[in-house]
Amino acid sequence: MLLKVDNIHVYYGAIHAIKGVSFEVNEGETVALIGANGAGKSTTLKTISGLMHPKSGSIQFCDKDITHMEAYRLVSQGLAHVPEGRHIFLQMTVQENLEMGAFTSKGNFDANLDHVFTLFPRLKERRKQVGGTLSGGEQQMLAMGRALMISPKLLMLDEPSMGLAPILVEQIFSIIRDLRKAGTTILLVEQNAGMALDIADRAYVLETGKVTLSGTGEELAHSDKVKKAYLGG
Amino acid sequence: MAFLSNLINGLSLGSVFAIIALGYTMVYGIAKMLNFAHGDVIMIGAYVSFVTITSMDVPPLLALLIAMCVCTILGVVIERLAYRPLRSSPSLAVLITAIGVSYLLQNAALLIWSSNTKVYPSIVTFEPLHLFGGALTVRGETIVSICTCIIVMIGLTFFTGKTKTGKAMRAVSENRQAAELMGISVNRTITITFAIGSALAAIAGVLYCSMYPVLTPTTGSIPGIKAFTAAVLGGIGSIPGTLVGGLLLGIIEIFGRAYISQDLSDAIVFAVLIVILLVKPNGLLGKKVTEKV
Repeated sequence: MLLKVDNIHVYYGAIHAIKGVSFEVNEGETVALIGANGAGKSTTLKTISGLMHPKSGSIQFCDKDITHMEAYRLVSQGLAHVPEGRHIFLQMTVQENLEMGAFTSKGNFDANLDHVFTLFPRLKERRKQVGGTLSGGEQQMLAMGRALMISPKLLMLDEPSMGLAPILVEQIFSIIRDLRKAGTTILLVEQNAGMALDIADRAYVLETGKVTLSGTGEELAHSDKVKKAYLGG
Repeated sequence: MAFLSNLINGLSLGSVFAIIALGYTMVYGIAKMLNFAHGDVIMIGAYVSFVTITSMDVPPLLALLIAMCVCTILGVVIERLAYRPLRSSPSLAVLITAIGVSYLLQNAALLIWSSNTKVYPSIVTFEPLHLFGGALTVRGETIVSICTCIIVMIGLTFFTGKTKTGKAMRAVSENRQAAELMGISVNRTITITFAIGSALAAIAGVLYCSMYPVLTPTTGSIPGIKAFTAAVLGGIGSIPGTLVGGLLLGIIEIFGRAYISQDLSDAIVFAVLIVILLVKPNGLLGKKVTEKV
């Protein structure tokens, strides 16, 4: 098992945001977390990547307890988190953004760069441009490319489709599909439940800080409850 | 010729302001705090070099190096003990702490070196340049400070633009959380920033006291405040802005003193600051803060 989240409770000050979430991700799997706004999806990812810490419960990554590990140390363990809102470095060039992605990488920088440029040819065209001049779709590509620079053991994507035109959403998902085929383990958070369930091996439904349903992507896509709540009937 | 002489003196004073201002700007950019103890680190640097030169008979360049080492350690220790525990506290708490550290350093200097004014021996040993058949005299200190400023600026531009650590500093300055997700240690980056800023403060202290050879425990506070002004004037957080702000401030001060009033020169400097901030609130080369939602 690559990632095991066991009964974590996370607070924002006095607000109890995550109320005992447990789930797991196996190597090579694509797992989706779906749910409405405020269900705790992003908080769960932030807690895994060490930006936040749970009050109780534990998180294991590659059989190592990472519950209280700081975010910057987790990157060299092979955990990559593409945050909601992308958070690329707007004043740095595309190339520099990718260099930052490889900050802890001891692997071959040029090979990783080539790999990212093969996945996202647009980034190669724009490698000298600063991040702030990129379109939303290109910024998403850069955020994903930057995370892939460490060849992560687990890639966590937080709302990769947010704010993008349908054609770009299609494009981003087709890249996620390629990554999945190539064997990358992916933990995907999405509000676009239809697309997420379509791509995922397994999925968990989060509601107000709790896992309320889980199953294979297909099972959930056909569940009446999910259909009603997240797939528009 | 008097004009040219004033201009050169202004550039020289401005160079020292710019070197000090870099410490304010870098720390502000990366740790998002105003380190008001920075001026006092300058003073400590000046005292350390003074003691090593006068009572240990150390050559000036080695004295400068020793002062830089002491200030680097001091800066890192201050950050570690006083500022780091307040990393997630409101910025006002950090600001007050910085003022506290400033007084602590001044009083420590008072205790160690007493309030007696020390006459600082210039570290510049070569003769002044006489140009235009003696019509224009340029002091050695003037040349050294301008050259030092140029070297520091080029060095720092190279460091932040080309090295891995320098780029990581820019990343932390722009987006701390994203930098952390790249595996960059924010604490380590802030430590490096304080180390660089404090080493520069030592250089500035030695240069400033070589130009104005009066050393007391409060020597650092006025150039510190003026350099802070220079940083704001140029656009705090921006390295080229710091250079522009520093040089401009030095020139305004010297010209104000020469052509308007000796007594009002400081007031003129700050009046200019107010006018510029009214017109350009982010400073001359400051980055526009556009928050994307």
